[in-house]
Amino acid sequence: MPPSYLDSHLQGIQPQMVRSELEDIVGADHISVKESDKLIYSTDWSWMPQMWLDRGQPLTTPDYIVHPGTAEEIAAVMEVANIYRIPVIPWGGGSGSQGGALPTFGGIIVDTKRLNKIIDIDERSLTVTAQAGIIGTQLEWALNDRGLTLPHYPASANCATLGGYLAPRGSGTISTKYGKAEDLMMSMQVVLPTGAIIRTPPVPNHASGPDYARLFLGSEGTFGIITEATMMIDYLPQVRLLRAVLFDDLSRAIEAGRRMMTRRLDPMVIRLYDPGSTASLVKQVLGYELEGAYMVIGFDGDADLAALQEEKAMAICEELGAQDLGREPGEKWWNHRYDFYYPPQTLMLPWMYGTVETVTTFDKLEQLYWAKKAAIEESYADWNIRYIGHFSHWFHWGASLYDRFIIEEPPQDPRGALSLHNRVWTTAVTTSVENGGMINEHHGVGLKLGRYMRLQYGPAWPLLKNIKEAIDPNGIMNPGKVGFGV
Amino acid sequence: MHEEALTPHGWALAIASVRRGLLSWNEETVDRLYSAPDGGNSRAHCVTNQPLPEAIAATRAEVAAQHLAPGAAYEVNNSLRKWGNPYQATPPAPANGQGEGPSSGKGPPTGEVALFVGDEAHYLEPESVQAALRLLRAVGIEPVLIGAGRNNGYIASSLGFPETARALAQATLDELAASNARQLLVLSPGDYFTFDQLYVERLDITWPREVALKELTTFLAEKLGEGAISFERAQFDRAYAYVDPTHAVRVQARHDAPRALASAVLSSTARELFWRRERSHPVGNTALQFTKPLIAARLTNARLQDARESGAELILTDDPGTLHHLKRHASGMDIQVQGLYELLADHAVPLIVVA
Repeated sequence: MPPSYLDSHLQGIQPQMVRSELEDIVGADHISVKESDKLIYSTDWSWMPQMWLDRGQPLTTPDYIVHPGTAEEIAAVMEVANIYRIPVIPWGGGSGSQGGALPTFGGIIVDTKRLNKIIDIDERSLTVTAQAGIIGTQLEWALNDRGLTLPHYPASANCATLGGYLAPRGSGTISTKYGKAEDLMMSMQVVLPTGAIIRTPPVPNHASGPDYARLFLGSEGTFGIITEATMMIDYLPQVRLLRAVLFDDLSRAIEAGRRMMTRRLDPMVIRLYDPGSTASLVKQVLGYELEGAYMVIGFDGDADLAALQEEKAMAICEELGAQDLGREPGEKWWNHRYDFYYPPQTLMLPWMYGTVETVTTFDKLEQLYWAKKAAIEESYADWNIRYIGHFSHWFHWGASLYDRFIIEEPPQDPRGALSLHNRVWTTAVTTSVENGGMINEHHGVGLKLGRYMRLQYGPAWPLLKNIKEAIDPNGIMNPGKVGFGV
Repeated sequence: MHEEALTPHGWALAIASVRRGLLSWNEETVDRLYSAPDGGNSRAHCVTNQPLPEAIAATRAEVAAQHLAPGAAYEVNNSLRKWGNPYQATPPAPANGQGEGPSSGKGPPTGEVALFVGDEAHYLEPESVQAALRLLRAVGIEPVLIGAGRNNGYIASSLGFPETARALAQATLDELAASNARQLLVLSPGDYFTFDQLYVERLDITWPREVALKELTTFLAEKLGEGAISFERAQFDRAYAYVDPTHAVRVQARHDAPRALASAVLSSTARELFWRRERSHPVGNTALQFTKPLIAARLTNARLQDARESGAELILTDDPGTLHHLKRHASGMDIQVQGLYELLADHAVPLIVVA
């Protein structure tokens, strides 16, 4: 194993001292220094560390794994970490795809999954308050039992936690109507790196000064650990109407989505696959052999309203020359929407792949797609790279482009593979930014995109760095992530 | 589980890490490997590139072959090899036409319908078998009993002893073939899963195409729907709940039948557990009961607690193994546990055949 932070910074009796102090806080049953456990917590679901391990290369492991049961215990862990200057890395479900939970410098993994209680369901205000370590699906089932839903449906819900929804600003399948996870947040309890336990204002919309609550959204554990959140919830819809259409022209398909959004038809989902995805993924997962751009459109809520919205959406599609494929291909997509992300359908090693997704406004959206496709396919033609994408998570002003590159025969040498992966990402990210896109829409920054934060924010980047230094003066929180360095 | 090492991610990554030379099987890692319940809740993971339960079973087989498995696993395997069950009890010989089946001549009993008894029902909950027989007789069926006192092979497979599992499976198939039965009824989703999926997926044994496999609850619910059986209402006015047995998540479309049967007898309020139907968890009657009894007990207690939180005062289940474990842990929890087959048999209205 490579040396961890403690190996190089704490000698002699000190590591044992730290362990003893952590045991005093969480109890001996809730701390592990087992080598096998350390390996399990050395990787999240991102390609880089998974590839590294797949090639037989060890990763840096944490020194301690703690399972606190309260926010107060986490605060006490922070105090120990500050005294010894040990990194603290929050861990939810480990499903991140950007390396945000990697213990890059060793330290203390704080696994939040014991914080899994539902504290309150307010059926009058339609909010749920839960501890941040609850698994998304478990929370959803509890709400469903009361006819309610947290309308954040990410593919990772079976293992991702509520805190993991918020920390990287995730999006779910029906975000087009209900918003991203961050948009559903009412308030949070956060343990700051200093050990202070704070609670953000009880409502998100007010005029009582700057909205510091949103600082923690997208901070990915670099500003503290989210321990509790109150989220907006909804009634389960009376109906969900799904339908699929086929465009022979991607441009007109994007225009159809734009018209639906700018006319505020309020679809819960518009999933538009480019011709490459239609020919590959849609065929592979759903079994439809189609040429063109496959689009799934969904409306939910009261039956009469949803039907009217769908009727207007279909009129737009018809105007733009779409072929109505009917309800079954839409419903089949809905019922299999997560199959795209699980074995045996998902992208897997030994392939090289990356989801270089981005978001931009409608005026730039199609140009962004073609620019990225050209840049990636032309720059890495020698590797027989494939570029595919779909448009999802639509907004009133634009949409996200969920695009991926795939190399089926990457270099076998892990360093060569990592280097090529980074080069492709650089091409993708710089092309996004040059064409008006963001470096990311919903997977977060993590370790992977940290080096592009200066490119993304320019002169504003020092402002964010200053905020980080003010919140975390000893730099203990998740070092090396979100571009904040060590 | 709160620990990542005891999640599908943890098990899959540990297995993959050993294959990659980054971990080795030792007391610590084997302990983690044998902490997986093999109850059907962990289905797939990308790292192992195969369904996770099969990956775990295959890995345990490698570990067991290297003599690195927990001692309790070898003890259970020895019992299964010697007695056909983990209880170190000699199972009864298959009946020889002496009243355990519809035929009465010499040789093994034969008939159109067979009922697999297995070891848990035979040794732990024999009343369930008697109740099942009463119910089948109520619809005019006298089944051939097979596999009495013998494990179906699941425990051996789960612990990493596929050869033992194959021997048990073959014994069951031989007995089934000798019965000439065209339909095999089973008392639990665990038996159904083992015969329908585990044999072919883990043991490479094909189920005989000519024999239809069905859970007894599904069979009885169909009979109820056809009007071929009916039940008297029980005098019970408190809330009850049906506990989906171990492996219920592995058998699709089986969840309505036991509930329909229970509601045919009980007219009081039916509650549902939080962990139910497609999301139900196992209780302690997986192989964990032998290798990790504390985890097994925790799983059973969690179901009982779930039932209590639902407001149920009576819980029902069909699988004899699940029933046994729930009963064992229910004392002091102020909740009554009853076998579904027993409840149904006590209230079945006999079939009236008009000559």
